[in-house]
Amino acid sequence: MSARVSRPPIDAFHLPGLDPGGVARWRVREYAGGVSLRFPQLEPAQLGAVIAHLRESRARFLADRPADAIAAAIAAAAARLGRDDDARRRTALDALPAVTGYSPPMVRLVLDRMLEDWSEASLRELLRSEFPDPGVLDGFRPHPAGRSGSRTRALGPELAFHIFAGNVPGVAVTSIVRSLLVKAATLGKTASGEPLLPVLFARTLAAVDSGLGECLAVTYWPGGSEDLEAVALEAADAVIVYGGAGVAEDVRRRAPAGRRVVVHGPRFSLGLVGRDALDARRAEETAAQAARAVAIFDQQGCVSPHLYYVEEGGETPPARFAERLAAHLARLQEDLPRGAISPAEAAAIQTARADAEARALAGADVQVYAARGTEFTVIYDPDPAFAPSPLNRVVRVKPLADLAAAVGLIRPLAHLIQTVGVAGAGGRLVGLAEALGRAGAPRITSLARMPWPPPTGHHDGQEPLRELVRWVDLEG
Amino acid sequence: MLDAEGRVIAAALREVFQRGVDVPLDDAAFDALARRVFAYQFERNEPYAAYCRRRGITPANVEHWTRIPAVPTAAFKHLVLACGPVDAAEAVFRTSGTTLGAERRGQHYVLDLSIYHAALLPNFAAYLLPDGATLPMLALVLSPEDAPDSSLGHMIHVVMHRLGAPGSGYFLDARTGIREDELDRALEHAVESDTPVCLLGTAFAFVHWLDRLRERGRRYALPAGSRLMDTGGFKGRSREVPAEELRAAYAEWLGIPDDHCVNEYGMTELGSQFYDTVLRDRVETGRAGPRRKAAPPWVRTRVVSAETLEPVPPGEVGLLCHYDLANLGSVLAVQTEDLGRETEDGGFVVLGRAGGAPPRGCSIAMDLLLEAAQEGRP
Repeated sequence: MSARVSRPPIDAFHLPGLDPGGVARWRVREYAGGVSLRFPQLEPAQLGAVIAHLRESRARFLADRPADAIAAAIAAAAARLGRDDDARRRTALDALPAVTGYSPPMVRLVLDRMLEDWSEASLRELLRSEFPDPGVLDGFRPHPAGRSGSRTRALGPELAFHIFAGNVPGVAVTSIVRSLLVKAATLGKTASGEPLLPVLFARTLAAVDSGLGECLAVTYWPGGSEDLEAVALEAADAVIVYGGAGVAEDVRRRAPAGRRVVVHGPRFSLGLVGRDALDARRAEETAAQAARAVAIFDQQGCVSPHLYYVEEGGETPPARFAERLAAHLARLQEDLPRGAISPAEAAAIQTARADAEARALAGADVQVYAARGTEFTVIYDPDPAFAPSPLNRVVRVKPLADLAAAVGLIRPLAHLIQTVGVAGAGGRLVGLAEALGRAGAPRITSLARMPWPPPTGHHDGQEPLRELVRWVDLEG
Repeated sequence: MLDAEGRVIAAALREVFQRGVDVPLDDAAFDALARRVFAYQFERNEPYAAYCRRRGITPANVEHWTRIPAVPTAAFKHLVLACGPVDAAEAVFRTSGTTLGAERRGQHYVLDLSIYHAALLPNFAAYLLPDGATLPMLALVLSPEDAPDSSLGHMIHVVMHRLGAPGSGYFLDARTGIREDELDRALEHAVESDTPVCLLGTAFAFVHWLDRLRERGRRYALPAGSRLMDTGGFKGRSREVPAEELRAAYAEWLGIPDDHCVNEYGMTELGSQFYDTVLRDRVETGRAGPRRKAAPPWVRTRVVSAETLEPVPPGEVGLLCHYDLANLGSVLAVQTEDLGRETEDGGFVVLGRAGGAPPRGCSIAMDLLLEAAQEGRP
């Protein structure tokens, strides 16, 4: 008997309106552990038929549904994905480690944390934070300026086309959720790094609310497939693009004039640790939180810190903080192990370590605290210049006499910042946030909250729902 | 120049190099020479000795050459790794760095150029001129006057003068780029006189030149026996072109067949170079054989795990680590950032220079951050 157990491929698409019998060719991607995903190789006409189906379904099931009711259906799907006996949850927990490269405990943590963002309470909060009167999504409401009789209303796109990127589970689903909340029929093209969770979410939504499930399609094709994307770009009124400047530029070029294009490009984060977080009572907790922020998403997230600036003059000197940070990363390797990485990624870590050791031999006060393998690396380096990390849990600790100096050091890069985690700034926090914000940083938070931006946040400094809608005023 | 002890070892090495690439150096002979070189370097190269001591390795306890600590290429950026005072160096070669000007450049102090030349010439001749041809060498690199610290420029200069025929020369200008008109004339002359040529250059220079030939619709059918050596990555200096595609373009626009296109793999930090075996195989056996790199007898190349830096099983992908006796005056064991794989016959293939893998999530790539930092600099 063969020792190799081959499991059937998982269908990684949700395409209402597609006749599966009409699919001539399939694409199967194989991953570690016998996991494989199957995608239809769509013809442009087939995608066109799916899009027509989405539009018809939107008119029937979505356009006139109250936003609160949509939120309730989404929350019901999320709740089901949180149940241990749910088959799709089991598929997610089973297959996502192989598909994304994250360890099983990491996948579970991230999935459960993301599901909280899609609870009814969170979604209602999101609606209220974007629209003080969320009723504007359902009909004309009094204009906030209060001029007598003036009313206003927000209309989402009829069809939103999302192009996803990266392997961070949940990012794509959050984008889909936003688009459904503003009543857009939604077409998602998944990223090769995480083509599964958005499909499992779509199927779960279809299971709890069959009508909504008809308004959402998700599948994968190789990014830049111009014939397919031409159909989607022509049909969509809004295009939401995740990815680098090259991808965004390419989509803008190909999108017909007048399309709303929303871009979420790659970003980076860093942390600032002030004296107050370094006293004997708090230092250990600060180091633990700092380690966790690095470990979550294996540092692949835009919210993951590349570097910590640590203030001198506290009870724990920055070099000692680096050592404690490494100790906590070692502990996290037990609870929340890093996923497997490629030889090229491991090579980048070796290069960072070699560079640090060479600088130490050359006389610089550089210290490396690292695992025997590449699992984690903390480099203490007194050179204050910002230095990016090769990721996968490599973080630098750099001492600063005064935290405020960090603003000047990161100014050239500040437009690429996603999050600045700040600890122990005490009464200086608001002033520091003001300076970081003026420099370009869109989000300042605690080290503990770094990995988990709230759903109500201004994602990349933008407005997650408002940026999708247009307004209609009815003047009285 | 080397000190007295160094000159004694150099004489022994020169003897090995002069035997050429066909006379193998068995493990015992390589081991004896390597440990002798290691002891010499440990004595004189203080930063390297410190690096070895951190790993508990000294000449007294190193039982085999495989235990000699390999210095990562990054170390050449921060340390002077020379077995003598830097003003004794006959040449200093510097890495080109990346497109990011601020990155520190690696420096390789070559104390004795004659050792460098003794390793270079038989190896180059074996893989580029296995038929014993003497050809005009047309170089798409900067001359040593224009780029005095380029090891590639130096290498081609030596090859051109020692192994080239009349008509050899440089066709790249530091200010104006490729001297197309002169190159056209040289190639037209080669075609008219039915004289095969040897083109030498960086892959990105060839990409630019091929783009120009395409634009102009200018196609050459160079005489049989013409050949080409390309080297290096692209490092953002031209678009990235896969090697197979590039070789197809050489065939299409220059008329140089695939097995006459030899990729060279060299490093500023190494005294020896590596070449594709295809042309030599074609001349010696009539068949090109699988394309792979061969190390000369005085170099051992190991593939080590990027995770642990320990050797990987044959055929697995890892980082290339070279033990090169021609590095007598610096450090013989160099740990590269290049990914590769050993082939069945003891050669290796280079799979790419690891310049940091692209992030898999939504974080931003290191090089983009460094670029942004550069742009923001006053």
